[in-house]
Amino acid sequence: MIYEEMTNNIRSVCEKLLNSNDVEVIVAYRGGGVEGMQIPYFAKTPEDVQNIEWGDRCYQNIAPYVHGLSKKVGILAKPCDARILTQYITEQQIKRDDVYIIGVDCVGMVDENGDPRPGCPDCMVRKPPIYDEYIKDDRVDSLDLSPPASEDGGLEANFERFRKEIDKCIMCYACRQACYGCYCKTCFIDRDLPDWQPAEIDAGTKMTFHMGRTMHLAGRCVECGACEASCESGVNVRYIIKEVTKFIEDEYGYSAGMDPEQVPALLVNKFDDREVGFLGGETHG
Amino acid sequence: MKGLTQLEKWEPKIVAFLCNWCSYAGADLAGTSRLQYPPNIRIIRVPCSGRINPLYIITALMEGADGVMVSGCHPGDCHYLSGNLFARRRFVVLKKLLQTCGLDPERVQFTWVSASEGGRFADVIKEVTENVKKVGPSEVANCGSKEAQA
Repeated sequence: MIYEEMTNNIRSVCEKLLNSNDVEVIVAYRGGGVEGMQIPYFAKTPEDVQNIEWGDRCYQNIAPYVHGLSKKVGILAKPCDARILTQYITEQQIKRDDVYIIGVDCVGMVDENGDPRPGCPDCMVRKPPIYDEYIKDDRVDSLDLSPPASEDGGLEANFERFRKEIDKCIMCYACRQACYGCYCKTCFIDRDLPDWQPAEIDAGTKMTFHMGRTMHLAGRCVECGACEASCESGVNVRYIIKEVTKFIEDEYGYSAGMDPEQVPALLVNKFDDREVGFLGGETHG
Repeated sequence: MKGLTQLEKWEPKIVAFLCNWCSYAGADLAGTSRLQYPPNIRIIRVPCSGRINPLYIITALMEGADGVMVSGCHPGDCHYLSGNLFARRRFVVLKKLLQTCGLDPERVQFTWVSASEGGRFADVIKEVTENVKKVGPSEVANCGSKEAQA
């Protein structure tokens, strides 16, 4: 079994790492919860390493556990976790030297019925973009990595779809809690001044929340699918974030979490940026 | 106004965010030069176009504005050196977001007007008002009210 082989590789890497006292803890997965499932696990001693497990249900993102940490930690990172870590580094939430990244190839995770998890079928990044130690999975080389088709169906169809998704939303904020990028101390929607969310929740408030969240994630989304997976009402507004992310990739050449040296697209500017849709011409001057 | 249909009587409500240093002064110049422009805009003065949170624009649309206009200093002329350049990227992305959500991106118009361009300000307002009139009443303006939900 390929997962057992990879698990053994991961265990030996982790054991070496913990024995060398370079890191205080390793964030990884262990078997548990329900039969056949993997849940987050913190290995602190070399003996703990035997509990670490890698499989096809390691879908929970563990990178957010290291957000804001200032001690040296090791972390097992599948490609989306590695992208999250890269994004944290570019956003100066953690230091590169503080994390020891054990990158793992990923062919996609499945849920309890064996169906692919949200985000996995369309995933274009199957290998971790940054790592200190690399665990290879030969199957990723044979995967078809073609970009997914645009989901823009014209204005009216778009509005219909958005409205339908919004109607299901109950404003529980599970998507926000699950998202790696929603780490603001106070979310705009929780603020009193200005009060973005009036006491009565209506379609307008829900649209404001989802559009506001998309705007905050514009160009930062690593497309891990956690928001869609965490939603109990089955709302899928991830397609909006996907479209915007793709637009930013095309327009500004920035893909979230691929290069720790790159600055996020909306935090920089160029004098000759295109002015798409501005009054009076495409470009200035 | 007798004999006109509901739509012909309809006049768009447009919220205009103008930067303090260029566009607001440009609007002032248009006023002191007695230039005529449509009275559909409601001006909100902001320190810089970079100060405009995209949420301002979204909220304006949700709370009943048919259109939003944003105007700042020309690129290179920003009082804060690069505020409008950051804003520009944000606005381009916001337009894409509106398109994906199914709100007509024509409702939200961005442009640059300097303090000496009173005539241009009047022209821009005319153009914006015409564009928003073409798009029609906002599809989300009543999302916030109970009547629309019923």
